[in-house]
Amino acid sequence: MPMREGIYGLLAEFATPTELVAAAKAAYANGYRRMDCYTPYPLEEAAEAIGFDEPQERGVARICLLGGLLGGCAMFSLETWVSVWAYPLNVAGRPMFSWPAFVSPAYEWTILFAGLSAAFGMLALNRLPAPYHPVFNAPNFRDGATTDKFFLCLQSDDPKFSTAESRAFLESFRPVSVVEVDH
Amino acid sequence: MEHAHTAKHLPADLSAPARVSHWRNRALIAVVVFAALAAAVYFVNPNALALDYVLRGWLMGMIVCFSFAVGGLALLMVQHVSGGKWGLLLRRPLEAMSRTLPLVFLMFLPVAIFAKRLYLWARITNPEEALRAGLINGFQAHCIAYKRPYLNVQGFWERGIAYFAIWGLLAYFLNRWSLQRDSDTQHGSWFWQKRFENLSGFGLLVYSLTLTGASIDWVMSLDPTWYSSVYGLLFLVAQGYAALAMVILITMALSQDEPIKSIFRTTEQHDMGKLCFAFVMLNIYIAFSQYLIIWSGNLPEEIRWYMDRITGGWGYVIGLDFAFHWLLPFTLLLSRRIKRNKSQLAAVCCIMLFARFLDSFWLIAPNFADIHHNFHFTADLLQYVFVPAAMVALWVAYVAMQLHTRPVVAVNDPHLPEILEPEHAHA
Repeated sequence: MPMREGIYGLLAEFATPTELVAAAKAAYANGYRRMDCYTPYPLEEAAEAIGFDEPQERGVARICLLGGLLGGCAMFSLETWVSVWAYPLNVAGRPMFSWPAFVSPAYEWTILFAGLSAAFGMLALNRLPAPYHPVFNAPNFRDGATTDKFFLCLQSDDPKFSTAESRAFLESFRPVSVVEVDH
Repeated sequence: MEHAHTAKHLPADLSAPARVSHWRNRALIAVVVFAALAAAVYFVNPNALALDYVLRGWLMGMIVCFSFAVGGLALLMVQHVSGGKWGLLLRRPLEAMSRTLPLVFLMFLPVAIFAKRLYLWARITNPEEALRAGLINGFQAHCIAYKRPYLNVQGFWERGIAYFAIWGLLAYFLNRWSLQRDSDTQHGSWFWQKRFENLSGFGLLVYSLTLTGASIDWVMSLDPTWYSSVYGLLFLVAQGYAALAMVILITMALSQDEPIKSIFRTTEQHDMGKLCFAFVMLNIYIAFSQYLIIWSGNLPEEIRWYMDRITGGWGYVIGLDFAFHWLLPFTLLLSRRIKRNKSQLAAVCCIMLFARFLDSFWLIAPNFADIHHNFHFTADLLQYVFVPAAMVALWVAYVAMQLHTRPVVAVNDPHLPEILEPEHAHA
């Protein structure tokens, strides 16, 4: 991968979640789309503010549902195949296709596959693990992002981004600081 | 406080909104209408079983109202021990539901008085003679004679009164302390929290034991030959299922007006939706476990209970029961959007309540010889609709009156300042 140069984005630091959510909502309303919020704990409203609740953003939910359905069908088919065709066994005169007995393992596989696909789907869609991320170049981010600071980063690859205007826009929300982050 | 400028304030008047009186009036009209319909069916179509069907419908109505009252008491204790802001939101409606216990006790009295018409073990005083007369089969005669030390009318009365006394005592203290806590300025809220936790932890244990006894006495013993060790737990989960759907409906309806409006947030609604999902899942898990174990065992004395309820037209009833009890609420509650939308979550709660009616019918009706194995429509069957509908409407009117007697928001709780803040203010 070639070295990327120039600025990755503008990082605004806020002291409270309320201010962060207000700024993120305003940025979304102003047409910014390539941006991210960084908070020390999960903040659902921040995710919603930057459009995470839009239908095209619900990838993990879809992967999880699909994984669960696949897991359930796979186990149920496996049991049916084994009991009916591969190794038919007469158990107390019951029919070969004794579906009540197949339900429990199929259910367990539904849970297992839904859980695994949610976890790995989330990692894949987040492009994790990521050994390098430009925002760590900002010293205040390194010090505060996992303890008590709330960050909004407007990325430079957004068509609406311009260093001067975006900085003025962010400063209108009275953040603690706005810093340029290099790639 | 840092976010104080964005936090909402509780209104000065914390009493229930005027809307609640309309519910009471409408519910009382429904009582009259359904009672008139039930009386019409009784008088227009006289037959030997007419009174029996009224009593069977009465038992079903009593069981449903009992789920709301005692299930409400159980959820009240659960939220005291588990904590969480959803509990603060539901506390007063749950307390109102638990205070309907005297009404449910009155509903219980006809069941006990007419026990001989409802319960085979109460009707047959001499099993051997009844066997010779061909009234019952040998297996039934054996079971009735063998279970006589437990299944007798005197024991039924004594245990019933004891259960109501125990639940009544729990409901009395939880309600009384809750009002004292509101006006208390001397002790901190933690003092009260510990006090509620201690009673509720013990109370939940007592509740699970007494509820198991009550479910065996009132519903399972309708068929004296059958037994299932998971029955009490299944009944308990179904009761939580019904009470949760009911209290969510009540709270969301109250949230249209102050004061609940200022403490109702989507976060807690989402939590309640997730709790519904957990109950939907747990209920089918236990119900299916019971079925799977009995199906695997394939023993004639157990399997017949299911055959009475699956074959001969009952397959349609259990099919509908499955769809409304699990399939529909499960698939709908998977969606985050539905859980966070008020009217859609209310619709799911209505489906869950309808499922409880259907399931109570499926548990009670096929115990009787004139209809088991052979589901067919008779006018008498309408009593399973009209009598419970009248009783539940009366219960709704009563709970509306109870909601009026107290403020609908509990104060002096450490979570109250948090629930008034915007949703992003706390982790």
